[in-house]
Amino acid sequence: MTKRKMFFRMITASLIRRRSRMFVALLAIAVGATILCGLVTIYYDVPKQMGEQFRSYGANMIFVASAESEVLTEDSMKEALSYIKDDQLVGVSPYRYETVSVNEQPIIVAGTDIAGVQKTSPYWYIDGEWPAASGEVLVGEETADLLSVKVGDRLTMTYSQQAMENPDQPAETDAAAAEGAITKDYTVVGTLDTGGNEEEYIFMSLEDIAAQTGDSGRVDVAELSVSASQDELNAYVEKITDKVPAVTPRLVKRVTQSETTVLSKLQALVLLVTIVVLLLMMICVATTMMAVVTERRKEIGLRKALGASNRSIVQEFMGESVMLGAVGGLIGSFLGFAFAQAVSVNVFNSTITFRPLLVPIAIIAAMAVTGLASLVPIRSATEVDPALVLKGE
Amino acid sequence: MFFRMVKGALFRQKGKMVMIAFTILLGASLATSMLNIMLDVGDKVNQELKTYGANITVVPKQNSVIEDIYELEGDDADDIKSAYLQEDELGKIKTIFWAFNIVDFAPFIDTTVDLNGSDVKLVGSWYNHHLSLPTGEELDAGLTSLRSWWSITDGEWMDEQASEDGVMVGAILAKEQGLKVGDKVTVSTRHASKELTVEGIYDSGDDADEQLYTTLDIAQELSDSDGLISSIEVSALTTPDNELARKAAKDPNSLSIEDYETWYCTAYASSICYQIQEVITGAVASPVRQVAESEGAIMEKTRLLMILITILSLVGSALGISNLVTASVMERSKELGLLKAIGAKDGAITALVLTEIMITALVGGAIGYFVGYGFAQIIGHTVFDAAINMKPMVIPIVAILILVVTFFGSIPAIRTLLRMKPAEVLHGR
Repeated sequence: MTKRKMFFRMITASLIRRRSRMFVALLAIAVGATILCGLVTIYYDVPKQMGEQFRSYGANMIFVASAESEVLTEDSMKEALSYIKDDQLVGVSPYRYETVSVNEQPIIVAGTDIAGVQKTSPYWYIDGEWPAASGEVLVGEETADLLSVKVGDRLTMTYSQQAMENPDQPAETDAAAAEGAITKDYTVVGTLDTGGNEEEYIFMSLEDIAAQTGDSGRVDVAELSVSASQDELNAYVEKITDKVPAVTPRLVKRVTQSETTVLSKLQALVLLVTIVVLLLMMICVATTMMAVVTERRKEIGLRKALGASNRSIVQEFMGESVMLGAVGGLIGSFLGFAFAQAVSVNVFNSTITFRPLLVPIAIIAAMAVTGLASLVPIRSATEVDPALVLKGE
Repeated sequence: MFFRMVKGALFRQKGKMVMIAFTILLGASLATSMLNIMLDVGDKVNQELKTYGANITVVPKQNSVIEDIYELEGDDADDIKSAYLQEDELGKIKTIFWAFNIVDFAPFIDTTVDLNGSDVKLVGSWYNHHLSLPTGEELDAGLTSLRSWWSITDGEWMDEQASEDGVMVGAILAKEQGLKVGDKVTVSTRHASKELTVEGIYDSGDDADEQLYTTLDIAQELSDSDGLISSIEVSALTTPDNELARKAAKDPNSLSIEDYETWYCTAYASSICYQIQEVITGAVASPVRQVAESEGAIMEKTRLLMILITILSLVGSALGISNLVTASVMERSKELGLLKAIGAKDGAITALVLTEIMITALVGGAIGYFVGYGFAQIIGHTVFDAAINMKPMVIPIVAILILVVTFFGSIPAIRTLLRMKPAEVLHGR
């Protein structure tokens, strides 16, 4: 008991007495542990955070009606959605396409969930505003050119079931229009620039299109943006195909395939960088520890001259180094988390969760590196004849 | 005498100096590799993002309006030759100001053909088209790289040089029609009829699964539009858009002359589009926002991430180096005390120690640069299968970093030693 007490006393005393030197060593270890913790946290966080960035490519899964059900209803879509984890679902936007006539010209209108579209297609570039209230529409740029409308203008749409079934004979006469045709006025609140064929459509809310056509609850396709790996996506597709017969989920290969390629490269990059940085930092910590121990050859010699056994000297010095490593590792693991958090907030605008497991790992790693690094010089110091060391070689 | 002392110190304390040099070497190699990777990661990730396909499409002016809105079919549609682009102008894309940033492009022409009684869309394009440009540059362009997400489920990509009558069939269409690789299919239009050999079946995950893809020549012959193409897809390395680019995209003429030049000489998607429109007659080039915007976002994030990691590792290596330098100077208290006792001036002692350490630092730093070069290349080849482009500007940055760190690492230690009385130091306190 007393022996152990003495041991700790010697260690702490030497740490405190040589404050500035020990501080330098501690700093080196803490920086090493910070880097270990910070980079490992970032490495594990990159796929998730970057995956969210990749969602700006838009939908990576679509729902269409299966062969037997023919139409996709909002209810079956909701049922299928319930199989996807909430925190992985970035956004969903159902689409319903109808042909209406504006100024006697056939135009395709798409009814959708406006809030959902902003999540699934973040790349849409809107001139003006997103539709917010009923009666507001978003017009694709090409259609806007064709109809020569701009933001703030009003549009009149006519939908007639009969007319659409015979597109060659547009509802020209008043008589035809009166027969079941629905005419409504809309305000253009924004024009849409995507560089794709969305520019040819007019977008409105699902409620508006239901009012325009007189029936509701039906969609043509639903676009989903799911933040998940390719394997998870495949699992979702299988599960939904199995559980919801009315819905056929399909992956947008262009997006999923490319995302997997790029994401795996990025993760490999961070991994390699982490390994290289860690390797170098470990050597850095080791050289510092060596310098610190080598400095104390004289002390070792003195102890030996006083009759200390090699074993007790090695034990004591190792105890000192390992303790230094533990403290450094502890400080470093918290600093590392702070660094990873700073990176995450600055780069991805989101916070990360603390990984408690990293604290013991960082401490053990720091202890192992400092212990091993001091073992070599301690050994060589104990092997020397004390008289030689004390005399100054 | 000064140099003799320096030399003496360097050689007598070989072990210690090697250790300092080694630490500095590590720090320098870390700084070198991280800085180079950070500076190059944008380009590398940009290249990887090319797997998303083209980010610029070029279509003839008014083409979409005429075809889609008036729904012209058959005879009328074919007569509107103005709604096409000229095939012989394609090479001009590689002559624009940002030609070097254009990594790939392919022309398209499509027509509806009759295949065993059903109407199918047939697309003609390039696959591995070999271009010898007037500038002497050689380039293989085409769908093989522009549609990298297609998986070939059977057969292989069409080899444009080798095949005379090849066609690739979408997976859904192949299943419907029961087509296999090696089958002969007859496609016909109003103008011509051809027998083609199925060379590959692909799964694209989109509309193309129900289409036929063949060479430009065959599609032109079938649609009777020799030398004409209906659209071009261009894959270009671009700079993420900013305010200026958005303003310019709306109307380049609204910019001041200075802004216009900045915009024109920066590789924004909009300025590349503008330059393509300048060389291709009657064309409208527009960025595919889905690809262009996301590329910008991802590249920016990656670059920022690498910058922060680089800063962390630079701080780490700086601390490591200065630690060791401080330790090694402190260790020599006795020697410096002796020098002072026999009458050396403070300035002379400082100069002596600094010279020793700086020489060590330079040697370590120089070797470290090459080790870092090695690390950067290993990472580059493992991750991106390409060499990391070493920027010359990294050399002065690393050199200054090392010198500053060693200088500031040794100065405080030297100063504390000089403040001590020689007698105390020599006595060992």
